[in-house]
Amino acid sequence: MNAFHLTEDQRDCLQELINIAMGQASEQLARYLNTFVYLQVPNIQNIDGKYLTQVLNEEESATDVVSQGFFGYEGIRGEALLMYQSENLGRITDLLGFEPEELTHDEELIDISSILTTTFLNVFADQIDNKMSYNAPKILSNVKDHLQQMAFNWDFALKVNINYQVVDYSFNCNMILLIPEMAITNIKKVINRILEDY
Amino acid sequence: MSPSVLICDDSNMARKQVLRSLPEAWHENMQTATNGVEALTILRANKIDVLFLDLTMPNIDGLGVLQGIQKLNIECNVFVISADIQPEMQSKVLALGAKSFLKKPVEANFLLQELQQHNLL
Repeated sequence: MNAFHLTEDQRDCLQELINIAMGQASEQLARYLNTFVYLQVPNIQNIDGKYLTQVLNEEESATDVVSQGFFGYEGIRGEALLMYQSENLGRITDLLGFEPEELTHDEELIDISSILTTTFLNVFADQIDNKMSYNAPKILSNVKDHLQQMAFNWDFALKVNINYQVVDYSFNCNMILLIPEMAITNIKKVINRILEDY
Repeated sequence: MSPSVLICDDSNMARKQVLRSLPEAWHENMQTATNGVEALTILRANKIDVLFLDLTMPNIDGLGVLQGIQKLNIECNVFVISADIQPEMQSKVLALGAKSFLKKPVEANFLLQELQQHNLL
């Protein structure tokens, strides 16, 4: 059994921690967009770092990727990638209703990504008695190159598929958390502690 | 006599969180459901006094359960416990007859306070 294996209880606990974090991220997004966001159960998947590029091949339609590094205590650190499908980008711009001169497309994307990532991770960290700090978010021009350059650092990827429906619009993005083995080992310790309490 | 209780949430951990927030005596007459379909089946067949209901669930979500309860004229005190904390959602569940909205993770003290406020404790 390796560090990436989760028992049914551990998985259920992780899913619930993610649901709560996602709920608050959605509420922040809803406020930012000044609308109501329909929340669905996020679909989570864990991927061994070795196979990540393979998995991402299926998602080549994702044209824009925003990356943001995060750092907590006890070796819990990583990088969050928010991957947007190309057909959704226009909708996000419509939704925001910005005039072209107000904000560039890239700035909008970075703003939304940062709201989702930092709210999600702050709430997640809070639940596992941790606290995060962040690097500035940036748009990646080539995800695969980026991953290959850092591949040896990232042993584990937690992929959370987020599907947001916003009134007449819907957009879909994947949040991928790349974390080192030490981080997942520590997250599992905290999860076990939480489970022991029940 | 302790009230009949139904806890409906797709997460085992979330169900346990509710369970352990409740008075010991309430554990006697308790059932659980993991989605809206199961909850409605139980509600149809049994008199449930208090329902703790999650919103984001597969196979009929919490809103669907609230609508079902209204449609079937089931008398039941519903407390919604959800991670979806948007104010619009809170007003929506109250408009559909829920007694109260509690955000996840549920706090035992707040839950007991809400039960007292509705004369269930």
